[in-house]
Amino acid sequence: MALQPAAGARDLNPRQVEGNRRLCDQLAEVYRLWGYQEVAPPTVERLETLEAGGGIASRELVRLAADEPLGLRPEMTASIARAACTRLAARPRPLRLWSSGVVFRSGVGDAGGQRIEEQLQSGVELLGSGATNGGTNDGNGGVAGVADAELLRLLLACLRRVGITGAHQPRLLLGHHGVLSALLDQVPAEQRTAARQALTGFDPLALAALELPQRQRQGLQALMRLRGEPAAVLYQLEQQLGPCALLDDLDATLKAIAPVAAAQGVTLQLDPSFQPHFDLYDGLVLKLVCQGADAPVELASGGRYDALVGRFSSEQERSSASGMGFGFAVEALRELLDGEVAEPEPQPPVLVAYANALALPAALDRLEQLHGAGKRAELLAEPCPTRSSAEAIASGRGCAGSVWVEPGAA
Amino acid sequence: MITVALAKGALLKDSVRRFAAAGLDFAAVLEPGNRQLMVPSACGNARALLVRNADVPVYVAYGQAQLGVVGYDVLREHQLPVAQLLDLGFGGCRMSVAVKASSPYRRSADLPAHCRIASKFTRCAQEYFDALDLPVELIHLAGSVELGPITGMSEAIVDLVATGRTLEENGLIAIEDLFHSTARLVGHPLALRLDDGPLQAIVDRLAAAALAPLPA
Repeated sequence: MALQPAAGARDLNPRQVEGNRRLCDQLAEVYRLWGYQEVAPPTVERLETLEAGGGIASRELVRLAADEPLGLRPEMTASIARAACTRLAARPRPLRLWSSGVVFRSGVGDAGGQRIEEQLQSGVELLGSGATNGGTNDGNGGVAGVADAELLRLLLACLRRVGITGAHQPRLLLGHHGVLSALLDQVPAEQRTAARQALTGFDPLALAALELPQRQRQGLQALMRLRGEPAAVLYQLEQQLGPCALLDDLDATLKAIAPVAAAQGVTLQLDPSFQPHFDLYDGLVLKLVCQGADAPVELASGGRYDALVGRFSSEQERSSASGMGFGFAVEALRELLDGEVAEPEPQPPVLVAYANALALPAALDRLEQLHGAGKRAELLAEPCPTRSSAEAIASGRGCAGSVWVEPGAA
Repeated sequence: MITVALAKGALLKDSVRRFAAAGLDFAAVLEPGNRQLMVPSACGNARALLVRNADVPVYVAYGQAQLGVVGYDVLREHQLPVAQLLDLGFGGCRMSVAVKASSPYRRSADLPAHCRIASKFTRCAQEYFDALDLPVELIHLAGSVELGPITGMSEAIVDLVATGRTLEENGLIAIEDLFHSTARLVGHPLALRLDDGPLQAIVDRLAAAALAPLPA
């Protein structure tokens, strides 16, 4: 019999579970304060929904052997977007939802076999708060900017709550799908996809190999290096794109979060060629990275996904469909904060021992009396002849004390 | 502290020389008596990890090393999420299909369907024969692949060929090339995005050093 969990699966001990729960509770507390309601999207979904219109490669999905093409969710956004457009369609917008749960991703293990990676995620989705229509501005952009700013401020509030400080060197990477598309508009259509892949995949060799006029290639190479402090990058972008509403919105969003971010020690970095791993997004995209003991740790990631919501919407509502969200990688957060946050040590239980089988009912009564008084108490599994030996066992188990019940004591 | 993963073996000397030209002196790793696997640079601002070829992209993909030097062949075979930053030009070789000199086959497409192919690079080989629409049985070997055809275990091999001497001395000939490989500078994509300048400066100095002729 195999005694190990399947490759990539998590098998946590009580302390780890306690740490995860505490973080989830702290995050949930902040979500609730901001008016978000909890939903529990299904773990199992149709593959079609999970692929999110091609945004998620099917090789990354864990498929189920079922009658229908089903899989385990690699993230929760697609399911929540569908629920928002169907069951929750009549609810007033904007819809503020949060959820936490395990997500699954499939990869290739060392030996070439499938490796299933389990992750605990906690995140929010803000739906129906102004659409950018895939980056083109129709005067609604300002509203989209409000949702972007709300989400980013909520992210910062969450970081504050869980105890991420400047000492963790948090950096919020921000990109924008629409801005990148606008920058790539000058590239001939047949080279655009390759140019985008080279930029977002950080592949200067592929960029150098593109068949483009020298000037255009140099422009893209400069774009690959363009990142940093938002004001400076925005200035550079405006030089290239001219004044446009997209950049104005981005500027307004960044201004709405900059002072709070600075006060918390979170560095904002505008990176036009940055795109998250999953290609769900069509507006602002974000990733929060901290410096771990020896490598960067990705704590949260998200963005705007209007088109994905549009896929689940009716024809008329498609143009105004909008959604934006982010999710925390709870276990990465726990590992980063491990040992830093003073965890309240749980009160050790009282050990309830009993002299012989006749005393068991009385011992169980005693146990429940203690529970009734709000005290942790556990039962010794076998009879214990004397009070002193019960005391010895209790101290051996690290219990707070012992109660020894004799026959007829009740 | 910048960490660089360097591949032991044929690429090491040139890698050290190229980093020296870019201002990071890892000459200590070349000292004959060196047994240390993590070696600080002479300036103390960086360190080198001495790892096996195939492990370079692993250390870089996990972010333990921000930069690494490894052959393109290894990147093709292992396909890990690392950014390919520079073609360093040295360590040139070909990934080739080779058969016994006495074999009647002179083109990969002529090889009989379902024949056995021995290789250390089974993923590269699989992709290549898939593209040819030729079903083959791949045998993974850890080294001395040339023995495959010699012993009769396989019809052909897919292996790296630098000068062709090993093939020749074992009575094999290369019939077709899958691709040409040189040493690549690879980087951790996120570390590069988080970089405030020092990492990119090293990449730029390495690029500049690649244009200048190598000192003998």
